[in-house]
Amino acid sequence: MKILTTVKKVVDVELNIHVENGAIVEKGLQYVINAWDENAVEAAVQINESHKAETTLVTLGSGDHTDIIRKCYAMGIDNGIHIDDPALEKADSATFAKVIQKIYEAGDYSLVITGKQAQDTDAGQAGIMLGEFLEIPCVSNVIEIKVIDDTHIQVSRLGDAGTEIVDVTLPAVVTVSDSINEPRLPAMRGIMMAKKKKITVMDLAGLGTSFEEVGGTALKSEVTAFMAQEKRKGGQKFEGDPAEVTAKVVQLLVNEAKVL
Amino acid sequence: MTNILVVADIKQGVLKGSTAELLSKARALGASTATVAVGSNIAGLASQLAAAGSDTQYIVDDPSLEIFSAKPFAEAVVKAAREFNADMVWFGFSESGKAAAPRVAVQLEAACANEITDAAIDGDTVHIVRPAIANKVLQKVKINAPKLVAVVRAGAFEADPEIAGKENVVTLDPPEKDMKAVVRELISDASGEIDLADADIVVSVGRGAKDKAGVDLVKGLAEDLAAGFGSSRAMVDAGFMAHNKQVGQTGKIVAPSLYIAVGISGAIQHLAGMNGSKVILAVNKDPEAPIFNVADFGIVGDLFDVIPLLKEEIKKIRA
Ligand SMILES: Cc1cc2nc3c(=O)[nH]c(=O)nc-3n(C[C@H](O)[C@H](O)[C@H](O)COP(=O)(O)OP(=O)(O)OC[C@H]3O[C@@H](n4cnc5c(N)ncnc54)[C@H](O)[C@@H]3O)c2cc1C
Ligand SMILES: Nc1ncnc2c1ncn2[C@@H]1O[C@H](COP(=O)(O)O)[C@@H](O)[C@H]1O
Repeated sequence: MKILTTVKKVVDVELNIHVENGAIVEKGLQYVINAWDENAVEAAVQINESHKAETTLVTLGSGDHTDIIRKCYAMGIDNGIHIDDPALEKADSATFAKVIQKIYEAGDYSLVITGKQAQDTDAGQAGIMLGEFLEIPCVSNVIEIKVIDDTHIQVSRLGDAGTEIVDVTLPAVVTVSDSINEPRLPAMRGIMMAKKKKITVMDLAGLGTSFEEVGGTALKSEVTAFMAQEKRKGGQKFEGDPAEVTAKVVQLLVNEAKVL
Repeated sequence: MTNILVVADIKQGVLKGSTAELLSKARALGASTATVAVGSNIAGLASQLAAAGSDTQYIVDDPSLEIFSAKPFAEAVVKAAREFNADMVWFGFSESGKAAAPRVAVQLEAACANEITDAAIDGDTVHIVRPAIANKVLQKVKINAPKLVAVVRAGAFEADPEIAGKENVVTLDPPEKDMKAVVRELISDASGEIDLADADIVVSVGRGAKDKAGVDLVKGLAEDLAAGFGSSRAMVDAGFMAHNKQVGQTGKIVAPSLYIAVGISGAIQHLAGMNGSKVILAVNKDPEAPIFNVADFGIVGDLFDVIPLLKEEIKKIRA
């Protein structure tokens, strides 16, 4: 079985994000592997360990991506493809999905595992759209993948009414939730081996396409400005005798906040 | 005139409040409105859908639609959108909406937006607002395509009780089953509990509660307040709480009038699901816990001391 996982390099959400004049301030930002894509990588590596699969990751974006690719190698991914093209700075989920479609069509993959969303866009679209473009089944928000045989998997997804158990015929796309696994910390040996592995880098032309062909020049929507979120302020914090403090806070909730 | 199709949010046969909220917003924008209800045994909801503010009700009612499956659900919505000639399709905040919206958008060649908090029509152009980067910023987005499919973030719009539509039922043929992704089983969430999304007060428990006894203690507070009982991911991962109780970026988004966080540190992914609450009370033994940066009221203390006292005080005022 050949598995394709998609990995995006995104802004670290643990750090402060500042907005000035409608734009995000670049200074001080750091870029990391999208959290949900780490879950996707872990899921692919686990399938390889239990069922022998060849795992390939693809990451799309301009600039250096070797750090995140090496991290995925160290976790156990076999091959890495980086589509490095300045045009991709302007891409949206649908455009990225079209590029991933090209990669998929050039390989012989039976399963694509994506994160449920990218932590910079919080869009949650690329994986599901990829399934639509390829006209293959897609199950989103998955928390378990069981391989049945070369052409069937069974997945669990979190839905509105509970956990749905879905029998899927491959090829298929699965988008994973962070509840699916705990991504491993790469071992030293893996990190050393990862340094020697080859990374395939090409631009859109090298992939046999163009930004126009993947819809990049006719985006269906565009971000015109960023705005800071209204920040909540910490209010009154009480320390001391638990009985006194608790009684005081309940009085405030009743009389001041009027929510009890 | 803009046509807005609102996808009815139905849970266990009951129409959720978000449908009326979305319809009120659509009408406030001056749009003509329709709803599409997809499910099994749901034809009876038509009058409620009209009362909620829709002027046409598309009904796709078939036993095969009893359990959610994304492909047929999306197909039913696409069918209704084509019938209605919808310029926009809005889903309430739900896992089914998030799964279906990108499919519907591809099929309608529409723009797609998740978690929108506002929408405005300016001449021919639609603008929306939505959070991004773990809810740390807001984006203003201009829609270039003629159509938009959007999932509306929980609590974004308010229902206007004055609004009502008229009953005009259109029955649509059911879509075909997805034979390549067959939902063989649904392990239902415990029923009879208060839905977090509907609760006026939510009490959530975090790792600070340690074990089952701690969880039960906090659950007791939720019961006394007739509140929804939620959780941080830590307690879901530990197996003490069900997945559907998780509040946060990967869980439920709640905006109750009072949110009580007990033994929760306040990680950004948790805050993303509850910082729209009107009033937040935090109980944590660490005075430096980040949850205090967003809490209107904070009690620094051991929850095993504080929760029993809190229960007592509440009994007094409720007596
Ligand atoms: C991609 C991704 C998505 C995520 N999505 C979510 C999500 O949707 N929801 C979510 O909640 N998390 C989510 N997380 C996890 C999140 O980052 C935190 O790990 C999690 O919220 C921590 O849960 P907690 O606050 O219960 O535990 P901790 O961070 O361990 O905090 C426990 C708190 O309890 C306090 N405490 C301990 N003992 C006591 C006591 N006796 N009395 C009072 N206080 C006490 C401590 O001071 C501490 O502040 C996500 C993470 C990732 C990477
Ligand atoms: N530039 C990209 N490179 C690689 N994978 C991507 C890229 N953009 C999106 N994806 C994948 O698609 C998922 C959903 O992205 P989004 O629609 O932006 O939320 C992510 O979790 C990734 O797995």
